[in-house]
Amino acid sequence: MTSGTLTLVSTKDDDLSSLPVVPARHPWRWVGVAFVLVLAAQFVHGLVTNPAWDWPTFARYFTARSILTAVGTTIVLTVLGTVLGFALGIVVAVLRMSKSPFLSAVGWTYIWAFRSIPLIVQLLFWFNISYLYQRLSLGVPFGPEFVSFETIALISPMGAAVLGLALHQAAYAAEIVRSGVISVDRGQLEAAAALGIPRFRQFRRIILPQAMRSILPNAANEVISLFKGTSVVSVMAIGELFYQVQVIYGRNARVVALLMVATVWYIILTTLLSIGQHYVERYFARGDRR
Amino acid sequence: MIEVLGVHKSFGPLEVLRGVSLDVAAGEVVVVLGPSGSGKSTLLRTINHLEKVDRGYITIDGELIGYRRRGGKLHELKEREILKQRKDIGFVFQNFNLFPHLTALENVAEVAALSDARHFLERVGLADKAAAYPRQLSGGQQQRVAIARALATRPKVVLFDEPTSALDPELVGEVLDVLRDLARSGTTMVVVTHEIGFAREVADRIVFIDDGLIVEEGTPGEVLDHPVHERTRAFLSKVL
Repeated sequence: MTSGTLTLVSTKDDDLSSLPVVPARHPWRWVGVAFVLVLAAQFVHGLVTNPAWDWPTFARYFTARSILTAVGTTIVLTVLGTVLGFALGIVVAVLRMSKSPFLSAVGWTYIWAFRSIPLIVQLLFWFNISYLYQRLSLGVPFGPEFVSFETIALISPMGAAVLGLALHQAAYAAEIVRSGVISVDRGQLEAAAALGIPRFRQFRRIILPQAMRSILPNAANEVISLFKGTSVVSVMAIGELFYQVQVIYGRNARVVALLMVATVWYIILTTLLSIGQHYVERYFARGDRR
Repeated sequence: MIEVLGVHKSFGPLEVLRGVSLDVAAGEVVVVLGPSGSGKSTLLRTINHLEKVDRGYITIDGELIGYRRRGGKLHELKEREILKQRKDIGFVFQNFNLFPHLTALENVAEVAALSDARHFLERVGLADKAAAYPRQLSGGQQQRVAIARALATRPKVVLFDEPTSALDPELVGEVLDVLRDLARSGTTMVVVTHEIGFAREVADRIVFIDDGLIVEEGTPGEVLDHPVHERTRAFLSKVL
């Protein structure tokens, strides 16, 4: 008992508050860092010294006119697929959340159908739609026709590609939008309703800006995946990036160098999208700062 | 001013309101007391038609809320018309329900002109917090912004659903001060609360509700000091 008291007193004399603090050391972290650095150095060494990468060919084609045009086509497909896909996706999400069981079933069925059909199958189907329907017409079912079109004139390969990508994208976009909307606290809708804010304004001013916080990361995933997914439309002989490099390496057999051309372009554009995502997310997080 | 007549409301098999009638005069402050689950919040929510009633009706200044009488029937109004009626009925929630992505001023300005919004923020003593987001405010300040927002549509009556129940004890006072101030300026108010002291001081009339029925009502002196009904006495003995 007495000795215990003595220890306490001696601790007090020896004022700990003036001693410097030494953080804990983590030697194994440094081992991990060294290991990864060695692997990375080996990879870079391989890229530089292995002639099979064929960098001169890469350099010749990277900014070639045909490749730049193809990059442009890829961007156009991505933008149209995203804009049309999300516009239709919002409509489908609203249908899916409708209180009317019929409209809700329509939304559900759309999502079910377009998530079930592989994108490539759908694209080939649209590409070949003119075999199925030579003419398309507007009119009353079983009644008179008002206008009628040659299908092949109405739906070009590019049109078919955009149609396919947008319809496919809309199914996924609808679920992303819906997940965002149901993540918003119920009290928000009640408060807006109690204040007598009109319905559309409730959605646009109160619900959507809050839903955006959980929509955005998923939507960015979708845009990036669509962007690379445009390579699928190469099956329709549309001159997007992946189709174009295939054409070129089919001619000159420099497969690796040309795949690298496409890869680096995909990386650059995905990086730009990710940076854009960062800023858009920061904007919608503005109420979250302390 | 407010007339509630024979209101019934069930959630599935649970009958929450079993025929409630209540009159509130213009400028009157009515405090609703009752144990949790007694139906007092539901009663408040039927007054601005956040809950539809199963039977009975509610009028404000003689105007039927949520319905239109045509022929021998009550036809439910279109959502647009109901939203318009709600501008006359301010509602303050237990959990504030401020819009987190908008500043204090923007929250109020969502339903009023900017100059009006500033005026109402000033009225609850938060003019200096106009640019703050709800997350940057204390619970008491958030509730005061919510009150400013409820006042901003210039309602005929303001309903308060346990406005201090989600607050830390030291923040309750500032919100009750705002309520007291509103009561003094002649605002018609219906307040559901557990703050007995506040009820005694501010209420013109106290309504005690239990098990979906109004058990007893009267002045604070009558209900709080000389309760007639056994259930009122049992409730008061627990909270006083």
